[in-house]
Amino acid sequence: MKGLVGIILIFFSMMASAVANEPCGKVTIADMNWSSATFIAHVDQFILQHGYGCDVGLVPGDTMPTTISMMEKGEPDIAPELWVNSARDAIDKAVADKLLRIAGSSLSDGGEEGFWVPEYMVNKDPSIATISGVMANAKLFKHPEDRSKSGFFGCPAGWNCQISAEHLFEALKLADAGFELVDPGSSAGLAGSLAKAYERGEGWFGYYWAPTAVLGKYKMVKVDFGSGIDFDHFTSCTTQEECEDPRVTMYPPSPVHTVTTEAFASKLPAVFEYLSKRSFTNAQMNTLLAWMEDNQAEGDIIMEEFLNNHESTWTLWVSSEVATKVKKALAEL
Amino acid sequence: MAKESWLTKFPAMDRQDLTAIKKSLDGAYREFSRNYGELIESFFDPLLYFLVWFEKLLLETPWWIVIIVVTGIVHLSARSVKLSVGVVIALCLIGYFGMWDNTMRTLSIITVCTLVSIALGIPIGIMMARSNRVQSIVNPILDIMQTMPAFVYLIPVVMLLGIGKIPGVIAVVIYAIPPVIRLTNLGIRLVDPEVLEAATAYGANKSQRLWGVQLPLAMPTIMAGVNQTIMMALAMVVVASMIGVKGLGQPVLKSITNQYFTLGLFNGLAIVALAIIFDRVSQAYAKRTQRHMEGTHS
Repeated sequence: MKGLVGIILIFFSMMASAVANEPCGKVTIADMNWSSATFIAHVDQFILQHGYGCDVGLVPGDTMPTTISMMEKGEPDIAPELWVNSARDAIDKAVADKLLRIAGSSLSDGGEEGFWVPEYMVNKDPSIATISGVMANAKLFKHPEDRSKSGFFGCPAGWNCQISAEHLFEALKLADAGFELVDPGSSAGLAGSLAKAYERGEGWFGYYWAPTAVLGKYKMVKVDFGSGIDFDHFTSCTTQEECEDPRVTMYPPSPVHTVTTEAFASKLPAVFEYLSKRSFTNAQMNTLLAWMEDNQAEGDIIMEEFLNNHESTWTLWVSSEVATKVKKALAEL
Repeated sequence: MAKESWLTKFPAMDRQDLTAIKKSLDGAYREFSRNYGELIESFFDPLLYFLVWFEKLLLETPWWIVIIVVTGIVHLSARSVKLSVGVVIALCLIGYFGMWDNTMRTLSIITVCTLVSIALGIPIGIMMARSNRVQSIVNPILDIMQTMPAFVYLIPVVMLLGIGKIPGVIAVVIYAIPPVIRLTNLGIRLVDPEVLEAATAYGANKSQRLWGVQLPLAMPTIMAGVNQTIMMALAMVVVASMIGVKGLGQPVLKSITNQYFTLGLFNGLAIVALAIIFDRVSQAYAKRTQRHMEGTHS
């Protein structure tokens, strides 16, 4: 019995010393519940673990809970893909208060939001790519519950885009064309309604965003409001709950950042530097997401595929020394 | 590190094969939904019209008529002044806090779900009680229905029928129907065989035995099942709103994503109020049927 305890003690002290030898220590990364974010989280995990010797754990997350937990409790350390607009005020304040630090853009082009229609509808009638065409053909977009109306699929309940989608719905006077705003309830509901319409070649008109696996898989066309982007009005009115008189504007590109806690950024500048360089273009991300969808891959598998086959991209983010270590670890997989 | 062998690592299926299986099953389901989706959708159309009509009825009826009717139903079934007063107060508070419309939507969908569950559940329960074979087939299916996470079947249903009321009703019924089936089965099986024998001796045929002896004697158990079914249906309100069912679930979802605790609490309490009304009514009704029977027997 004594021997057993001794062995266990030795084992634990070995583990402890192994951890103590690492310069980096424990790092937690938020593994958000959508595919592009989970992919980036896995890439970060692998590179931090093998390139920087960190002991990395992934914790499940979602935009608001993760942001709040990072501000209030300093955990997790890294949010690899945060759509900043969805929590604009909170994040701005936290950055000013030195609680969070923005490392860089995870998506260099920014996220793309808008109202979309399936490509096959535009191929049949090119006018549907514009809002006037959509409104003139309102009959094609059936309401899921009431055949006499047309349906516009809005943003899921409680998301920040719900406010902007509602204001734009009002500004575009879609109700006058017979549309009713349908709340899909969740992103799964929204994606499901789109997939159902697409598989059967039916009409679908609603809010969506890119890069996403859904828009990588189903070819959609962003409807042109013919208004251009009115950035000031968008930030001051369209996205605000109390917007008296919303005007028509296209969605400006939405900044998508890698955010870390201030404590983490000051403790590990080398890792922070990597995070500030790590960034994807939308084209790259769409291809990767489509690959993920085609192969039904999880975050760790797409990570392997990316690190193996897109070396020229990720080696730019790290020093050659780190790159060698990561490559060595990759070869051992 | 030691080389991996089947002793240290479970000899799992090859990743490519697994992907192939997943992809072909998904593909087959898509194909099925493309070919038969519209047909299945039109099959549910009558139910959809009824749902829309019933919701409109509850929404467009002036609030005080709804309160009078609901209280009337409560009073007729429970015959308790205290409960009736409580119902009026609860409904007035719901209205005062601005949750009237959503509560009516939830009330309408829960009522329909309960009726569908009873209409399907009691006959299935009777069949189970009559045949051990049916029981051995239905029981594992009920286990699956109660434990399978709702989202696993929600998304395929959305692919087939779109979002909104119909997939919502299907999801709620799948989750809520098992208690009424199980307890109908149990109630009938627990009827004293000697009573049945006596009924047979008086020349009662099969259906007379069922309607005149088994069902009345099993009624308290069946009502307990109905009661549980209603409770479980109400618990599914939030999940159903994740596929676009309007009602009290939507503000709850909204409050979860935005951390509006008060909004969540108010709407949660409204769901609880509905649950208590349904619960007390069905329990009081069950108790009264029982008392009535005791009276005739003694």
